[in-house]
Amino acid sequence: MSPAPPALDEFRAEVRAWCRDHVPAQWRSAQTGVSDDEFVAFQKAWFRELRDAGYAVPHWPKEWGGGMSVAEQVVLYQELAAHDAPRLVLPFVSIHHAASTLLAAGTDDQRRRHLPAILDGEIWCQGFSEPGAGSDMAALSTTARRNGDTYIVDGQKLWASGAVHADWCLLLARTDPDAPKRRGISYFLMDMRTPGVEVRPIRQATGESHFCEIFLDGVAVPEANRVGPENEGWKVAQETLGAERGMTMLELAERLGTGGFRRLVELCARPRPDGSVPLDDPVVADRLAALETEITGLRALCADFVADDRPGPADASIVKLYYSELLQRTTDFGADVAGLAAQTELRKPLSSSWESGPWVLDFIGSWEWTIPGGTSEIQRTIIGERALGLPREPRSAT
Amino acid sequence: MTGTLDLTEFHDELRTVARNVLAAADRDSAPSWTRVSTSGWLGLEVDEEFDGAGAGFAETAVVLREYGRAAARGPLPAVAALAVPALGLVDPGSVRDRLLREAVAGATVPVLVLGGETLGVTPFRLDSGVEGPVLHGETSFVLDAPGADRLLVPATRSDGTVVLVDVDPGAGGVEVTDQPVLDATRSFGRVVAEGAVVAADTVHAFRDGASALRHLADRAAVAVACDSLGLAEAMLDTTVAYVGVREQFGRRIGSFQAVKHACADMLVSISVSRRLVAAAVRNVAEGAPDAAVSVSMAKSHVCAAAVDIAGKAMQLHGGMGYTWESGIHVYLKRATLNRSLFGSPAEHRRRLAQRYVSPAGVRPRACGPRRS
Repeated sequence: MSPAPPALDEFRAEVRAWCRDHVPAQWRSAQTGVSDDEFVAFQKAWFRELRDAGYAVPHWPKEWGGGMSVAEQVVLYQELAAHDAPRLVLPFVSIHHAASTLLAAGTDDQRRRHLPAILDGEIWCQGFSEPGAGSDMAALSTTARRNGDTYIVDGQKLWASGAVHADWCLLLARTDPDAPKRRGISYFLMDMRTPGVEVRPIRQATGESHFCEIFLDGVAVPEANRVGPENEGWKVAQETLGAERGMTMLELAERLGTGGFRRLVELCARPRPDGSVPLDDPVVADRLAALETEITGLRALCADFVADDRPGPADASIVKLYYSELLQRTTDFGADVAGLAAQTELRKPLSSSWESGPWVLDFIGSWEWTIPGGTSEIQRTIIGERALGLPREPRSAT
Repeated sequence: MTGTLDLTEFHDELRTVARNVLAAADRDSAPSWTRVSTSGWLGLEVDEEFDGAGAGFAETAVVLREYGRAAARGPLPAVAALAVPALGLVDPGSVRDRLLREAVAGATVPVLVLGGETLGVTPFRLDSGVEGPVLHGETSFVLDAPGADRLLVPATRSDGTVVLVDVDPGAGGVEVTDQPVLDATRSFGRVVAEGAVVAADTVHAFRDGASALRHLADRAAVAVACDSLGLAEAMLDTTVAYVGVREQFGRRIGSFQAVKHACADMLVSISVSRRLVAAAVRNVAEGAPDAAVSVSMAKSHVCAAAVDIAGKAMQLHGGMGYTWESGIHVYLKRATLNRSLFGSPAEHRRRLAQRYVSPAGVRPRACGPRRS
């Protein structure tokens, strides 16, 4: 590796020192089995700590409180991962999708209203998917009918992460039911306290209830809260959906490669009840080395992706697909080695990423990566068509 | 060479020239050695003082990858990636310097005697005899030994030091036996030295024998990984081209998800392989202390992935893929040979796994080479 410029080394030292002082000791055990309220309080407190250090929104423009170079962001996330810091889970949509949408397509008023508020802790969720619009999201049927300078929204949204705690929602709704499906959609900012909004948590496979359904019954959204022109919401969503994926993937790859892999090696080196050590089994050692190799490849893939000014048309899909399936293989291996003991770990630490140590729960949670955000099958189709130029599937009218 | 941009341009140019030269060669024979030497590939890593280009292993790696892509024949990989750099690791002297210049010019083809099944150790020993130093030892699967003009044999002396002995393959007590392999693009030989007496001035001292052997073993492994990366890329390209035109059931078969997704998996695998090879090449080129880690990662992962990819290419070409004429079998055989050459994936992973636990007990660590 070519030597880092001295300024970057200094920055790394600064982040390391900050992590040593600020990452809460034993937060993993403290965050295991806590109530929803305690999780929210912990997330908000951790967000404030990062914000006060200038580490919460490094990717934002300087004028709004960010302004770190890509190289500095890489260092920041490498160090947060290496120090096994808690992850920002609750404000994730706020600082990434909401901010990138506002910055790319919002009005000045919308930015002034929300970007500082996000830094003050305003929480956002995303109302895109629907019961009938999953992988085929453009098939969404929630409607927004114009009534003067207000839209009246009716419908149902699904898989909105953290919606029970959200103040605002990024909403896609159909404003022209007669237009081809991608051309009749508009993009809105919806206040979750508006009458007619009802949120119900969905209990997921791990037993947690992070995802929610949002029922919308005659919800009034002011025209001033529309982002971009009417009926051009699909375009806005396409442009801003993957905006921050690169750095997020880098952070997750670093976490998998540092704390995650360390926990995996610890597991393999821990004697079983009969005194035998998994790592003494050449098959276990071999699989561990294969995983380390793959994780090293993933980290390099992510580092190149964020450093690339002109990424390839499917690079984001390659990274997402590889991470998702590697996470699944890694946690599956952990569950296998840990054996019945891992079946007794009934809770995983909240505020962690997806390789937290209770391997069976982590393994089950890995489908949270292979399904949402474009299933692995969708990613393979994107890679085949956009990166390799293979003939398209026959498609329905758009 | 100044800055990354120049380097990128240089690599692009090198790649383009290599691709053209190798594409122009007859598929069933090696590119002419004159063409190879005038392209400057033999002396890429040699100082200008000895008529080389003064570049490094990163540049040799570019050519090696193109050799894999073309499934090219001939001793270029053995000479440019192993024998010539081995001469660079020993003390200079008139005999060595002359051989180095001849090798760069293509006038002499030296081959490093590194057994294809050994990693970083040499089975040869050099004893003192009344008529001069005497060489003993044997090893198999020496890449391009049968056509070599000179054999460069790493050997251990009685005091434990390691030297490089420059041997005439026709000398008394030396025998090179051809070892035919299924991969028709490769040539291997078994080298046996039974009391071969060598001239004292052909015994060259390594500046650091043990680390030189490790370095050469690392080079050998990464060279093969580069080859496998190139051949995997070629297999993906040819498969994508084929499934984009071949029609069945009234559709181009590349529009079927089962086929398309298989091609996507090939690309994902190659994307990861490229990064692992890049890291290994960089570390070997820089002589990084933990180069062996990235070398074992690249060798184990990429050479196994290339077999999967060539196999998938054969599958997706359907009946045509199984014919001799299609040439896919050439790549599949080369990929399987590469996987076994200079350390199997399992052997390299065993090396990696040795780092997980120290004799003192558990030593959990983050993965990958350490960051300072």
